[in-house]
Amino acid sequence: MQMVGVDVGGTFTDAVYYDDQSGELRWAKAPSTPADPAQGVLAAVGRNNVELGSTDRFVHGVTIGTNAILERRGAPVWMLTTRGFRDTLEIARTNRTTLYDIKTLKQTPLVPRQRVIEIEERVMADGAVLRPLDSAQVLAAAERLTGEAPAAVTVCFLHSYVNAKHEEMTAKRLREHLPGWFVCHSAEVLPEMREYERFNTAILNAYIGPITKRYLDALTKSLRRQGYRGAVYLMTSSGGIVTAARAARFPVHTVLSGPAGGVAAAIHLGQLLGTRNLITYDMGGTSTDVCLIEDLVTPVTSEQFIDGLPIRTPQIEINTVGAGGGSIAWVDSGSILKVGPRSAGAVPGPACYSQGGEEPTVTDANLALRRLSPMLKLAGSVSLNENLAEKAVSRIVKAISGLDVPRAADGIIRIAVARMVSAIKEISVARGHDPRDFVLTAFGGAGPMHAAFIAEELEMSHVLIPLRPGNFCAFGALISDIRHDHVRTYRLALDSADLSNIEPSFARMEEDARSVMIDEGMPPERITMVRGAGMRYLGQSWDLIVRLPDWADAVRDLERLFHETHEQRFGYRAADPVEIVSLRVSAIGQVTKPELGGWSIEGTLESALRETRSAYFSGKEMSVPVYLRDRLPGHARFDGPAIVEEMGSVTIVPPSWRAEVGRLGELQLKRKEP
Amino acid sequence: MNTTVDPITLEVVCEGLIAIVREMRASIIRASYSPAIYELDDFSCALFSTAAEMVAQSEDHPGHVMPMPWSVRCAMADFENDIRPGDIIILNDPYRGGTHLNDVTLLYPVFVEDKLMLLPAVRAHWADVGGMTPGSYSGLSTNIYQEGLRMPPIKLYEGGRLNHAIMKLIECNMRLPEHRLGDMNAMIGACRIAEQRVHRLFEKYGLSEVLECIATNLDRSEARMRERIRALPNGTYVYEDYLEYYDEGRFDPVLVRLSLSVRDDEIIADFEGSNPQVPGVVNSSLAVAGAGVFVALKSTLDPGGAVNHGAFRPIRLRAPEASVVDVRPDAPAGAHGEVRKRVVSVMLGCLSQIAPELVSGDLSGTSFPNSIGGMLTGRNRSYVYIEVPAGGNGGFLEADGSSAFVNVDFGNIRSIHTAEFLESEMPFVVERCELRTDSGGAGRTRGGLGMRRELRLLGEEATYSVLSDRAVIPPFGICGGASAAPVSVSILDGSREIALATPGKATGLVIRKDAVVVMQSAGGGGYGDPLSRDPRLVASDVSAGYVSPQRAQSDYGVMLNEDDSVNERGTADLRRQIAADMSALNIVADETSPYEGIKGRHRVLRMEPGLAAKHGLRTNQLVEILGRHPAPLRAWVKLDQSAQPDAIPVDAFGRRVLGVEPGQRVRLRKLDTLIEPGERQVLPVARQ
Repeated sequence: MQMVGVDVGGTFTDAVYYDDQSGELRWAKAPSTPADPAQGVLAAVGRNNVELGSTDRFVHGVTIGTNAILERRGAPVWMLTTRGFRDTLEIARTNRTTLYDIKTLKQTPLVPRQRVIEIEERVMADGAVLRPLDSAQVLAAAERLTGEAPAAVTVCFLHSYVNAKHEEMTAKRLREHLPGWFVCHSAEVLPEMREYERFNTAILNAYIGPITKRYLDALTKSLRRQGYRGAVYLMTSSGGIVTAARAARFPVHTVLSGPAGGVAAAIHLGQLLGTRNLITYDMGGTSTDVCLIEDLVTPVTSEQFIDGLPIRTPQIEINTVGAGGGSIAWVDSGSILKVGPRSAGAVPGPACYSQGGEEPTVTDANLALRRLSPMLKLAGSVSLNENLAEKAVSRIVKAISGLDVPRAADGIIRIAVARMVSAIKEISVARGHDPRDFVLTAFGGAGPMHAAFIAEELEMSHVLIPLRPGNFCAFGALISDIRHDHVRTYRLALDSADLSNIEPSFARMEEDARSVMIDEGMPPERITMVRGAGMRYLGQSWDLIVRLPDWADAVRDLERLFHETHEQRFGYRAADPVEIVSLRVSAIGQVTKPELGGWSIEGTLESALRETRSAYFSGKEMSVPVYLRDRLPGHARFDGPAIVEEMGSVTIVPPSWRAEVGRLGELQLKRKEP
Repeated sequence: MNTTVDPITLEVVCEGLIAIVREMRASIIRASYSPAIYELDDFSCALFSTAAEMVAQSEDHPGHVMPMPWSVRCAMADFENDIRPGDIIILNDPYRGGTHLNDVTLLYPVFVEDKLMLLPAVRAHWADVGGMTPGSYSGLSTNIYQEGLRMPPIKLYEGGRLNHAIMKLIECNMRLPEHRLGDMNAMIGACRIAEQRVHRLFEKYGLSEVLECIATNLDRSEARMRERIRALPNGTYVYEDYLEYYDEGRFDPVLVRLSLSVRDDEIIADFEGSNPQVPGVVNSSLAVAGAGVFVALKSTLDPGGAVNHGAFRPIRLRAPEASVVDVRPDAPAGAHGEVRKRVVSVMLGCLSQIAPELVSGDLSGTSFPNSIGGMLTGRNRSYVYIEVPAGGNGGFLEADGSSAFVNVDFGNIRSIHTAEFLESEMPFVVERCELRTDSGGAGRTRGGLGMRRELRLLGEEATYSVLSDRAVIPPFGICGGASAAPVSVSILDGSREIALATPGKATGLVIRKDAVVVMQSAGGGGYGDPLSRDPRLVASDVSAGYVSPQRAQSDYGVMLNEDDSVNERGTADLRRQIAADMSALNIVADETSPYEGIKGRHRVLRMEPGLAAKHGLRTNQLVEILGRHPAPLRAWVKLDQSAQPDAIPVDAFGRRVLGVEPGQRVRLRKLDTLIEPGERQVLPVARQ
């Protein structure tokens, strides 16, 4: 079986190819093409010399929907909603995230008030119908929309997570009347309580629906033209994969598709190495994603925002910082050095790319310190110009007195590092985890350059750099299983509870989930189910997802498991009664995965030495050995300062660190005892 | 800036201090027991220096955190050199830098090398602190003893040992004492975490280095604020506004008056002339008033910069003792938030005279806390509903104000629940939650809209309470912008619509099954002359339903065609006519005090009856006088035979508000109000 994984980043598009007969893994990178991402995808695939005609699986991390949201380039969306609630999106939760600014504006809703149509109907919290659906109004709405250019329409009625009949009837009628429109209703996208969050999630789905569908159709067509006959899969935000057909219907589930691959890959590597607690640090050209993995469990949440809009689909709990290798350093009016959030992006890129950029970026700072070599070619084609990097950094020197180029460059990196440290603290110390108990797993093109510096700030003593860190997310796409997440609201107080109804409810959900997956061509024997329940103490407003163990009658242990999970997560347990608010089922369809072979390079450390370069560390110029990663022999050990170069990334081993090549070719960096 | 610290270490240490506060916040949310704390984020954390200066904070509630330095200073003064390792100080005294009694503060001295270095502090809203009503928050209080247990700075822990006497006193004087204990433990836990982190920071970077970083950071915030102030023209700018108070049921507006002086790089906020404190809840401390001053200054002059005490240093505060802005024992202080909000209003009025491009129209200007309490049918359990529906924000130079968006002094609080959550927890149906058409003040840029939220009671009889301001005297517009719709509350009982006897204020009003409580939050004030608003924007507001076609005509002078497009010709004519129709009058100097009231003080405008009639004005009509300055002067008409038949008398203060000299002309604008000063509500009202 042959397979290809592709990840589209802001700067580069990465591809991984694997053949399970020969065990061969191939890696390639091409510059991203934001105007038409499919071009970059095909270029990266092409550089891998992949024969698409004999490829069986194509898995893809997409950012097209994400970018459409961030740049507000989605489709016009109409919304049909319960009478009295036309302003749900604009009123929002009324809170203000920017303090001390009288001119702050609320996030503009994706649907302007003119495109909201109220419908007479009302369902109550228990699912009972207070007012029946007024079909004449639905028909009138459908007729009104037939006069508009085909776009997207979402049906958003109150309490549809308990009783979706009104929404379903309305959506059906709209589909009949509006061919060529993207139609969805809130309960099919996210059947969960809280109208503001659910409506927004459904509207995001409609907003990126048409553009995602167009992109996937075009990509599929190009792949077919090159002979590919298999299914096209997409990474979802929760770290699974789904068919392009499903993704086209529920694109909102793929919004955090890219970084999810890296987390999946890190968990896979952790399993192989027996390293169970990881903090991932994925730094690319434009942004950085960090994620805390305890005991190799994927942390999934559904409480995230994208550009100020809530998106409540299950997502890997990733903290994103708007700073990457291409982030621009600047000096504010108070003579304070800042890094990001503005990025040089793919075009023009950092100053040293010689594509017209003049402002200093993190990459320029690394080049000015000669931690990056002007001899390197990024993604095989982009060469680095040292003079332009120094010229860019000297802009900072002019703005702040007392700095020279190396100190300014060092400052840029330390500030970027401080932002990463702060992002990691938010997901670790701020949630009761001590980062010293975790291994910092660094990837993305720029991650391995800064990982040890970040680890030092957090007093972490162990850093793990996988092989081909620049393509690690694309690799993740190949090791991810097919995954469909289902949730339904189910309210039950455990003190008075008859638990016997839960089992049939779970069984029904599983049955539905299984048939969906079988319809997509998954052999039944490869399908497994994971159950969970959203639970809370009576009176609490937010629930916690408790995963059910797979032993028989696990439902009986729910209460105990909830207390344990709550204590672990929030530091206390209460004596209050516990209630269930939702049932969750994840259907997982196992796919064939690449196997990482043992590291078989032999020879001496000297044979891997490419050059000895003069580079700056801690403000001092030092003579530093530069190794080629592909030639490092198994179990080789060396002390910092050292630099390791490979396709797509550079690893920095600072002076107080020691590196060792692990059995799978990974680099293990350990801090030397002080 | 003279500092020996390298710029990078400076950033890392300062970021580290803020990260400590973030960690305290995360810890509180995890462990606290009051929904107001974990659900609405009604708490704040900060680090203080030994000079009682706020060194670091993060996403904390400005209304809490800004008055905190006063508390720290009071505690430091009380204990002088007697603060030792293991001490924890507790306080909630509104007269000593507190806010209201519900906001309980813990100070946790941290020592490094036997020297007091920093004081982490937490201020959190406890759900109950005793007093005359559950929740301790009653609009009917006439003295502080009715509001709960008052604690001056006292040592809860001394040398690491808990003072059980204090705990017992708290347990005996508050409802649900076990929850109070839980909240207190959460607060102590957060401070302990801060202590560890502070120690680590000092160990890592060294004592003198960290102190140097802190000092430099405060200094540069100070320098930055001074730079912004220096850019303003020197001078003294004045404004006045009102809080709504009822003296035994009679409407009696309470005066808040401010003289704001710019002296090179310093600001002096002097509340001279403000109302003496009243036996009602609308009093607060100078700490709270100072928070209003700071929030308004920071949010307009230097939005977005780092917030620490350095920025506060260039500000001096003055106020008459025992006034509504410097309350003394034993007046109540429950509605501290309303005082802070009105101070923000008078600050905007003053600042508009200095830099109209930096300010906005007045904000909706009230917390608008609504509560309903009752029993769940068939279950032996009570429920308490509380929401604070957000109103509109003022328009400003560049944009319309946001609608239903908490004001800038309110932090990152969520003001309402989702209808689905609410209906699944309590016996209500939310019949409607939408923006109030026409509630935003008209202007070249429009004020944001308030919301209309209707709750139908499904369960048994319940009681409703509300404690709001801006229910009679509306938020004002700026630069010719119009005022917004004020807060409105009514009860729909069958076909009857029942108003409140005291608009905006009710305690324990009985509501029956199927009655609908209609809460309407205020809009924000407009900015600039509505007649200069782009007619296409008005047309778009009409098509969205933010503005009615009638008000498009009457307020904006915009005529629309049948397809909602602008009728250019009709609009030009109508705008000319409206401008010509506006009342214009000469003013004369008259230095007799213009203020009247029972315990409050409100400005009266003496008019000769013929003159009043000519302009369509009657006794006790509220009017806005528009002069050369951006913000209007409000006054209530009083017919007076002895007044001049062709001019209106205005005292020196009023003329400064308006920026006009005797003999110059001003314009008048009528405002309709629900109730007049000295009057009781005469409409059908609900029983209390």
